[in-house]
Amino acid sequence: MFGLLRIEQENSQYDAKANGCEEPSRDCLPRRAALKRIGAAVAGLAFGCTPLRIVLRAYPDRFDEEAELVDRVLRAFVKTVIPGAPGDAPDLVRVYYDGFYRFARYRPYFASDLCQRALSRYSVVRFDDLSTDQRACVIEDGLAADSTTQRLYNGAIFLAQLAFYAGIFDDSKGCRLIDFDGRFRGVPLADQTYPNQEFYLARGLTADGNYG
Amino acid sequence: MRTIETDVVIVGTGFGAAAPALRLSEAGFKVVMIEKGPRIEAPRDFRQTQDPKYLLRYLKQLSGERISLTYAEGLGGGSGFYEMVSLRAPSLAFEQRDAQGKRLWPAALNRGALDPYYAIAERMLNVEQIAIEEVPKTGLVFARMMKNLGYTCDRARYAVRGCVGSGFCVTGCIYGAKQSLHMNYLPKAEGVGARVITDLEATTIRTLCDVLRTPRSETLSNVPYRYEVLCRPTGKQQDWHRLKARLVILAGGTVGTARLLLRSKEYLRRLSHEVGRNIAFNGGVKVAGLLPKTFPAGDMFTGRSHPGMISYEFLESNGITISAAKPLPLQAVAAARLKLDGDEQSPGHWGGPNVDLMKLYRKRVMVLVAFGLTRAGAELTLSANAEPRLHLEFNDELRSYYVRVKVLLNSILQRNGCRLINTEFHRQGVPYKEVHFSTAHQVGSCRMADSRMMGAADAAGEVFGYPGLYVTDGAAIPTSLAVNTSLTILANAERIAAIVLRRYPLAKQAADLAASS
Repeated sequence: MFGLLRIEQENSQYDAKANGCEEPSRDCLPRRAALKRIGAAVAGLAFGCTPLRIVLRAYPDRFDEEAELVDRVLRAFVKTVIPGAPGDAPDLVRVYYDGFYRFARYRPYFASDLCQRALSRYSVVRFDDLSTDQRACVIEDGLAADSTTQRLYNGAIFLAQLAFYAGIFDDSKGCRLIDFDGRFRGVPLADQTYPNQEFYLARGLTADGNYG
Repeated sequence: MRTIETDVVIVGTGFGAAAPALRLSEAGFKVVMIEKGPRIEAPRDFRQTQDPKYLLRYLKQLSGERISLTYAEGLGGGSGFYEMVSLRAPSLAFEQRDAQGKRLWPAALNRGALDPYYAIAERMLNVEQIAIEEVPKTGLVFARMMKNLGYTCDRARYAVRGCVGSGFCVTGCIYGAKQSLHMNYLPKAEGVGARVITDLEATTIRTLCDVLRTPRSETLSNVPYRYEVLCRPTGKQQDWHRLKARLVILAGGTVGTARLLLRSKEYLRRLSHEVGRNIAFNGGVKVAGLLPKTFPAGDMFTGRSHPGMISYEFLESNGITISAAKPLPLQAVAAARLKLDGDEQSPGHWGGPNVDLMKLYRKRVMVLVAFGLTRAGAELTLSANAEPRLHLEFNDELRSYYVRVKVLLNSILQRNGCRLINTEFHRQGVPYKEVHFSTAHQVGSCRMADSRMMGAADAAGEVFGYPGLYVTDGAAIPTSLAVNTSLTILANAERIAAIVLRRYPLAKQAADLAASS
């Protein structure tokens, strides 16, 4: 019913296994050491670069260290995916920090990838410094990249929409943009229907709703 | 390891489990129910939320090639989270045949045979046809669409008492209006002595004796402990349990029951090879459209979750029923990428065009769903580490069905002036490359049949080769029904409970019977 983004981890392990590599341990290996140790294997991987970059955290350190930077990038991402979403809403990017969703592990990498693509395409260092249209083009780039990056970007879009439209972090708020109240606010039964039901109702085939 | 000896072990607490639990407990049997999921105190534990953390505590999904099955784990099974639609399966559902022309339901079973038990189930759940003045706006708009085309449409039937129309049936009714099993069968069963143990998963079943030499019909006290159900703790439980029983009733759902039997195959060597096969899934096909301005507005978010109406117009001709649906935002986003058909704007499923569409979602979007009498075609197997795997054989017949039904549903929208919405179904944000069925209406993984060559259990729900081992849940239902499956599962479970009571009278009842005869 609800996908929870187990994709990157599974994919990277699959790639390694498929190529006869030992499964890398994400949590234990210092990234530089790990890169050296499995350098030969990396070279042999047909399409394993991106997964390994995620697994081994092969991206600029500042995306692990500067929380504000990552937050600004992610907010810019969500505002691009959902134009009209309030940029200062406290819960806007919360889903990317929530350990319940595996995407949280890849948040720094994802932010770095957005910035890397901003740099490649527009020579602008930070994704959040781009215009909305430019940001959309960067996201399109990610969606057109290798299959794992596609999954990462698709997952990020999916989580943004899921969290925002469904208001998953605050039952009382819902989502004003789509007129969703969140929890029920006591609409009278008379207001849930139309008064002239006969105008709508078609002829029935059954006496009581059960077909014979 | 704790050991419990009892007359009856019932695996599961959902629709297939509740009726035998109540009936056998009422009759004086010692009954122990075990539930893999947590205890749910209804309505206190239910929430009106879209938070996946809450929902995934209870709702599970098994995904495979071309098909995904959703089911519940928690006290009451799916009853806590269903849309409370409670319809009898149409007669022609019972007359379905396999590719060789052989009737799939056991010979003695048809709608007429099940009708008395449907009546019992309906009384227990307070099932009534929705009143005209309670049909939600979306249901009325759907009915008007059918009426415009000269088609019929009926008010559906629901298990509810005092519905307030909150629109959160699928997250559990916080008002206690929905007649989930927590409101009737389960408290009654516990009230007459049934013991419920939650957070306990049955892992294997073994025989304790040569069960073929034990009686299939006898005063219960003369029946030895025949089966042992080994259970591991989940959630709050601490200990493994060994339950010894004279009778075992399997009602852990289409996935759970097949998984348990397959894991027990080493100990139950006479099991039919059909266990895990023949999963039917009501062939759900979904489409969406944008209502034209000439139509009054629907409302996705208020009124009961199932919007009140069902059309049997195409049941005889195409083997389908049609309803409208009201997915909450979470359900819509989690299931499909929405994009206006023919909209060439980029990006498609996100960005400005998607927001514009979502702004119309509440009042102008109409979702149609067809349930069909599709053949069983999915199979559940176990991986090397005993985890379930799912596979659907997507053959030409199923492809043709899917295309035909989608064209029909789209034509209903288009002939009413709707603009189609492209629904690109996906998993974790990645679209399926091929047609993919998602359902909560799976049945048949241990289906009843006339012989063990065709199914896992006989017409009484008794597993072939294993006296006193019964299947009473959706796993036993042999075919798709074209309507929601809960009432049929419950009625069939009532029927099997009545059979068990006749076969295994208690000592006092047996004496009374002997005296009267």
